Amino acid sequence: MIGVGKIKQYTNVLEKPINKGKQEVSLSAFAFLFSELVQYNQTHVDNIAELERRLEDAGYAVGARVLELLCHREKLCHISWAGFESLSFPSHVWIRLFVETAIEGNRRETRLLGILSFVHSTVWKVLFGKVADSLEKGTEHEDEYMISEKELLVNRFISIPKDMGTFNCGAFVAGIVRGVLDSAGFPAVVTAHFVPVEGQQRPRTTILIKFAEEVLQREARLG
Amino acid sequence: MIVCVAVVGHQNNPLYIQSFTEADDDLKLHHIVHCSLDVVDERVNNPKRSGSTLNETFLGLLYPTENYKVYGYLTNTKVKFMLVTTDLDVRDADVRNFFRRFHSAYVDAVSNPFHVPGKKITSRTFAERVSNIVKSFRLNPSG
Repeated sequence: MIGVGKIKQYTNVLEKPINKGKQEVSLSAFAFLFSELVQYNQTHVDNIAELERRLEDAGYAVGARVLELLCHREKLCHISWAGFESLSFPSHVWIRLFVETAIEGNRRETRLLGILSFVHSTVWKVLFGKVADSLEKGTEHEDEYMISEKELLVNRFISIPKDMGTFNCGAFVAGIVRGVLDSAGFPAVVTAHFVPVEGQQRPRTTILIKFAEEVLQREARLG
Repeated sequence: MIVCVAVVGHQNNPLYIQSFTEADDDLKLHHIVHCSLDVVDERVNNPKRSGSTLNETFLGLLYPTENYKVYGYLTNTKVKFMLVTTDLDVRDADVRNFFRRFHSAYVDAVSNPFHVPGKKITSRTFAERVSNIVKSFRLNPSG
């Protein structure tokens, strides 16, 4: 619930409505807190993998609670449709799914696409103020899905030094996603990666979700 | 009159059981809650084919025994709430309202960063809120 991408900006604080408190936190406050979190963990670990694991664990705790909270608060009703578009690149074929499904007041998701679009739109909207940029299905493996974002909010004020290699503070967000999926009954391994894009200085961030075997079996059984 | 409320985790482990009457044996109420868990699983795994009742949170009357009625509620994370009551005529809307407030108290208790998911709920605030909700339910009898 960070104040980014708000619909209406109040220039004068006296004009803000009193009755409904805005459910937002200032971006700078969160950035400070997150930077302290990363620094604290950095002084307590010996290597990068451990740091990534700690950030992910912190995110996991957040994700579990976010799911409970959202399930309780959700009262939205959208129309659902699904469209398919396939693009071929020289070496890969990504099939991009644009799925907009609804959460009809506290419904429990049992299908894979349902929970993915829940994470992609609702969770992202509540946490970062906007839906994620895209949700894609990997074609190399059946159980891989990717949520991409041009720049993760948590990474906005962070630049990784060269000697840290491929470390991504988006591991925190990956942990949140893992917490949500795990509590909803879809165990998965979630990681965050940088994907370089031509024409852009900063690489795009992709959250890679790899579901456990039992999830795919259950999905196949449900038909 | 509400006799007992219970919160059961997603692996059917009890997270919170509180009985509100001194007359009855606690163990008997625990046993009733435990038996109702089977009914919950049954409802969840064999959904009725009508679309509106699929994946709803409120499960309704689970298990009428000779003295008690048991109502169930299932959240997104497979955490179950049970309500054991001795009232003969309880309005559906009242029970739904009760579960909504109970869910609200539960979410607040779980959002505590010191709460370990899967362990019993030890928050005193949660216990107080639950007894307040039960008391107000008692004061507004159905009918």
